[in-house]
Amino acid sequence: MTILGEIALWIALPVALWGAFVSFIGGQRGRSDLVLSGERTVHVVTLLLVLTSLGIIAAFVGNQYEYRYVANYSNRELDTYFKVAGLWAGQRGSLVFWTLLLSVFSSIAVYTNRRRNREFMPYVSGTLLGLLTFLLVVLLFADVNPFERLGFTPANGRGLNPQLQNYWMTIHPPTLYLGFTAFAVPFAFAVAALLTNRLDSRWIAVTRRWILLSWFFLTNGIIFGMRWAYVELGWGGYWFWDPVENASLLPWLTATAFLHSIQIQETRGMLKVWNMCLVVVTFLLTIFATFLTRSGLIDSVHTFAENLRIAYIFLGFMGGLIAFSIVLIVYRLPSLRSENHFQSFLSRESAFLFNNLLLVGVTFAVIWGTLFPLITEGFFGQKINVGPPFYNRVNIPIGLSLLALMGIGPVIAWRRASPRNLRRNFTVPLAAGAGTLGALLTLGIRHGMALATFSIAVFVMTIVVIEFWKGTTARARIAGEGAFRALASLVKRNRRRWGGYIVHAGVVVVFTGLGGAAFDARVEQDLVPGESMSLRSALGTEYRLEYESLSHSRPRVADDVRENDWRWTALLTLYRNGERAGIMRPERRIYPVMGEASTEVGIASTAFEDLYVIPKDVDLDSETDMVTFEAKALPLVPWIWYGGLIVTIGALVGMWPGGRVPVRATARRPVSRDAVPGGHRAVASTP
Amino acid sequence: MTVLIGGVLLAAGVVLFILEPVFSGRSAPLYSGDDDYDDSAARRRIALTALRDLEYDRATGKLDSNDYRQLKAELSREALSHLQRDDGAGDGGESAMERASRDLEEEIDQLRSALREGMLCPSCEHLNNVGARFCGRCGGALHAEEGRAPGVGS
Repeated sequence: MTILGEIALWIALPVALWGAFVSFIGGQRGRSDLVLSGERTVHVVTLLLVLTSLGIIAAFVGNQYEYRYVANYSNRELDTYFKVAGLWAGQRGSLVFWTLLLSVFSSIAVYTNRRRNREFMPYVSGTLLGLLTFLLVVLLFADVNPFERLGFTPANGRGLNPQLQNYWMTIHPPTLYLGFTAFAVPFAFAVAALLTNRLDSRWIAVTRRWILLSWFFLTNGIIFGMRWAYVELGWGGYWFWDPVENASLLPWLTATAFLHSIQIQETRGMLKVWNMCLVVVTFLLTIFATFLTRSGLIDSVHTFAENLRIAYIFLGFMGGLIAFSIVLIVYRLPSLRSENHFQSFLSRESAFLFNNLLLVGVTFAVIWGTLFPLITEGFFGQKINVGPPFYNRVNIPIGLSLLALMGIGPVIAWRRASPRNLRRNFTVPLAAGAGTLGALLTLGIRHGMALATFSIAVFVMTIVVIEFWKGTTARARIAGEGAFRALASLVKRNRRRWGGYIVHAGVVVVFTGLGGAAFDARVEQDLVPGESMSLRSALGTEYRLEYESLSHSRPRVADDVRENDWRWTALLTLYRNGERAGIMRPERRIYPVMGEASTEVGIASTAFEDLYVIPKDVDLDSETDMVTFEAKALPLVPWIWYGGLIVTIGALVGMWPGGRVPVRATARRPVSRDAVPGGHRAVASTP
Repeated sequence: MTVLIGGVLLAAGVVLFILEPVFSGRSAPLYSGDDDYDDSAARRRIALTALRDLEYDRATGKLDSNDYRQLKAELSREALSHLQRDDGAGDGGESAMERASRDLEEEIDQLRSALREGMLCPSCEHLNNVGARFCGRCGGALHAEEGRAPGVGS
């Protein structure tokens, strides 16, 4: 199976190259047979990459350590579960996985458009196959062939990095990769639109759902990554501006900007060049993310740091893509002229524009911070990392402005808003925000950013709730429907708008959760069984942890390496406000094969806060079973995950198929328009 | 040996499958034909969506009557201009886009007639139930909007 996978990888390269070539030629010369050949190629490449991936998985599951990749990322003791996930555990496999997902999305794009958007399709398949060809060249010729053999067969592999041995390993990377690779399809359509000079609203209508899909996966991928960091890295945080975290955030930021600015293009025919640039930039940032993760140029918890050749290849490819995109856009500038202009500073357009500027501002700040070590190394010969303080100082104020805009944008009218309707719409939400601020100040909270976060969050949430309330009552009164039915039909008739509002509500909840970080409380103490430690959270909960006992699974013979890991498990009883609230079992693990230690933290959640227990150190030599525990009370952290869930629901509402209202039978019959009495009444009668 | 045969068969199958269209003359369509995307139909739908949202904005008090009237005139002109271009483009079956547009028109129709029947209080712009004679908020008499707003079919 493994050898078949290797053969499939080799066949895939010439096939993809052929497909890219005939697709472009077929489109240009109008050779429909070549176009069909190109489209078949897309599916064939997908099939071949499925075989390749199965080959790698078979090598992992079959313990074939003669392969360098398998030997480096697995061992006999590893659960089968993680062996399958070995496909994306290291640089080589994850490049294959990336390529596989790209080909699957390419196949879906080609299949769903087999009868639609035909003018675009030769160039769409050509572009996608071109990308696939590049990735296959990298896989086969950049020292990252997953099927490279060692020349001998070790008795066992080196094992998987302990931090990857977590169930999120099977969820987070695939989700993020789905987001990254799905964005290649909008890029391909943008290229096709530019090449064919069909720059009307069509390419946007076609790609919008793809972009939403990619955004959906990116959002979830990022949140899953935060969750993983939170439960696995053992320091009580979920985000520390690591280069690879940044890399996943960058395309998300520009994709978010695009999802907003696209609405200006649709309703007002403006910002066409800007939107085109956003699609290209977002796609480039997904490639940049691959490059950053896979090259090892920048230190990160994620990097696999294997070779630099691949870094240069990726840099060259990105340079080529940038040049190609700029030339195409400049060449088509005449077709991308704006049809309208801004009528007023106080309008939804300008709110969207500000939103875009701020999102791009964050993007630049994050790119700058991420590349800063490289820049300083280039100029001063020394890598200087910028830490979280830099990002927080720049991004928190911008983030809060974005949060405020999320409230202002939806209520302000298109084109122009009068002071009177601003007053009418903003009085209640502003009062709610100010009330929150007052209440928090009265409670003695003086943390500036936290005060701003919570007040703005209440302001925005009030607006979202009022929007739903007003929309539902209007619909209920006008259509004479009950409240629930009115809400359902309101959302169904404009999924994008109301889905968007749900996403906004989710983001508000996430921001509130992030704001909770201002009030973390912690205590660190050495305990022997029978002793206890106490902690009071910012929300006033009294926690007491009673250390009961320590159990361990260390084998009798010290150098016996039959187990994947040895575990020391502390048993603690948790008391919340004096009442017994359960037991916690944080662990210290040592992975003998890798020679590494890791921590499995204990987390006790309530709706408003988490108690987070880290066994920092276990005294292995003494007989006392003494453990150094760190306990943290983290207010509002659970809200980040709740918010993420709400965002997911909103995104699903927004992209659910069948956004149109059901059509009645009479309308389904193909009738000539003149025969429909009263058709176009609403429009025809206006002055 | 089996592996080698398998590989050769795989390669041969792949080559045959992707080259077959070139030899047999089988082809993929280069144009979308009947279900082609119609830019002006799409724009009309977008203008109609904006008009529909405008009615909601009016009903929920987001817009003053002056702004409402002006925006309504602009958007209607836009929708109408794309309608004319659309009509000139030829007829035949009704596309999905046109169906969606017609549904929007019906909804706008419904919204406007509801507003025309005086649900929106002329003095305080409170949205009242269908058939109400006096405003639920300020107590003023309703049905004054009828003569003022250029309604459907007027």
